[in-house]
Amino acid sequence: MNHASSAAVELRRVTKTFPGTPGSPVRAVDGIDLTIDPGEVVAFLGPNGAGKTTTLDMILGLTSPTAGTVRVFGAGARAAVCAGRVSAVLQTGGLLHDITVRETVRMIASTYAAHAPVDAVIDRAGLSALAGRRVSKCSGGEQQRLRFALALLPDPRLLILDEPTAGMDVVARHDFWDTMHADANAGRTVIFATHYLEEADAFADRIVLIAGGRIVADGPTAEIRARASGRTVIASLPPGRAAAGMDRLHGIEGVVEVTERAGRVCVIAADSDAVARLLLTELGGTGLEIATASLEQAFLALTGNGASSGKPGELASQGTSARPSGSATDNGSRPSGIRLDELSTDDAKELTR
Amino acid sequence: MNATYTLLEMRRITRNYIGLFFTAVLPAFFFLIFGATIDAKDTAIGNGNVAMYVMISMACYGAATATTSIGGQAALERMQGWGRQLGLTPLKDSSYVGMKALIAMVVAAIPILLTYLLGVFLGASGSTSAWLLSAVACLLGAVVFAAFGILVGSAFNSEASIGAASGTLVIFAFLGNVFIPLSGIMLAVGRFTPLYGYAALARFPLTQGHLADGSFEPLWVPLLNVVVWALIFGMLAVWFVRRGRDRQ
Repeated sequence: MNHASSAAVELRRVTKTFPGTPGSPVRAVDGIDLTIDPGEVVAFLGPNGAGKTTTLDMILGLTSPTAGTVRVFGAGARAAVCAGRVSAVLQTGGLLHDITVRETVRMIASTYAAHAPVDAVIDRAGLSALAGRRVSKCSGGEQQRLRFALALLPDPRLLILDEPTAGMDVVARHDFWDTMHADANAGRTVIFATHYLEEADAFADRIVLIAGGRIVADGPTAEIRARASGRTVIASLPPGRAAAGMDRLHGIEGVVEVTERAGRVCVIAADSDAVARLLLTELGGTGLEIATASLEQAFLALTGNGASSGKPGELASQGTSARPSGSATDNGSRPSGIRLDELSTDDAKELTR
Repeated sequence: MNATYTLLEMRRITRNYIGLFFTAVLPAFFFLIFGATIDAKDTAIGNGNVAMYVMISMACYGAATATTSIGGQAALERMQGWGRQLGLTPLKDSSYVGMKALIAMVVAAIPILLTYLLGVFLGASGSTSAWLLSAVACLLGAVVFAAFGILVGSAFNSEASIGAASGTLVIFAFLGNVFIPLSGIMLAVGRFTPLYGYAALARFPLTQGHLADGSFEPLWVPLLNVVVWALIFGMLAVWFVRRGRDRQ
């Protein structure tokens, strides 16, 4: 792609390595190439520890890449921030609890040479009724709306949202996205990171799937969703024939993942009929079950495979090795505590069993 | 310098009544107990009296407490994500440090003014230059303890650690010849503790080097103490702040 001068964001061969434990540095971002044009609404989708936040931090100039280049509207990341072209809603944390909502907005506003009026920004974020409230007394959703108000101050051309609804309940999440939709000015570029597929689906024009510090898929939302959808087929195979059977199953077009535990083979595939036919006839399978994979589950399978192979564009033919379940999100992730999506691979597989 | 930001920060601090009590009112209270009511308060020392000596000591303790807590809070708020929020704005690190330093100076000035005001009414006496120079030394020397606060805040990253740092100052104050006059072995050991040099330096315009136990101490002793502790606290603060950033 040739958008060197006009691109909103341009990442070239960007890597970021953290010291980690002595002797084993952690490569959080492992060679990302990405161009985002002005006006695009892009979702960074991936499990925790995939490198989403680190990538966004580099676009925001909060951290510098170990190697590679980051350009934002043709300039360096920090220069773009100073010019007020870029702003962001960061993950939880990052507010002073002993001042009021309005004081927080005034404080951040004072750091810009030119900014949108404080009261207008408070109004747009739906905080007018809370302006005099201490930040410590605001709910998680209200605090997130405050971060959104802060991000609106420079009237940025690029708005970055890092897991903007993490920790919110369903109602607060819908409220937040309603506010976002209401404010989606034509021409404003938006990049948001999330591990909720539904959010990416509802709000983004384009989805960039990230796992293990790499881009594993990148395309229009509809296309990625089609790839991530599929069915799960489960059957028991006769003893001793599981290994050979799994090789055959990999050969079927559209098979995404094949796993086996205690004689039960679990296949995630686009064409469940072909898989079922093979299992029941040639492989001698019994106790067949077919379930519609949730998008979430299929997505986790996709990113998990992507992390172990690591090359974009190979999604359809991947699944070259049977892996013990639960390894899907382990690859290349930084230790970040167990969160919902890291549990759900196992949980989803248990449910289909 | 950003006036709006600085004023909002000041308002934030004045809202913290408990914190203000410990930094501003407590040293003045200590002065009442340890200085203004003791029998020896009118005894001559240097170019003034013992009441003045205790007044300067307590002002030093109060100013150090103030800068320790401001430094600690600054380190803490940056560690806990406000630094990332500020990283999204054009605000430079140097402007942030400048604003915080100004705020620390203003807050440190409160116990100094209060204690000195009490001193005027309660019989502290010394030469005019002793009043002025000691106050200036009190204020400037307190910067060393801002570094102490920053290092504790970024090393432990918790509200409790800031309280603990202020508590440690009480111990430093006893060891550092600030609360009670030391002599003999305690004084010999106390010379190496962080509050000793700072308080002795602030009292020097009054004492001219004459100590409470009758001995004499040249100016270089407290100066060296202040310089060495400034280096120790400063370098440790830089190291812990860097470590905190790498972990983000």
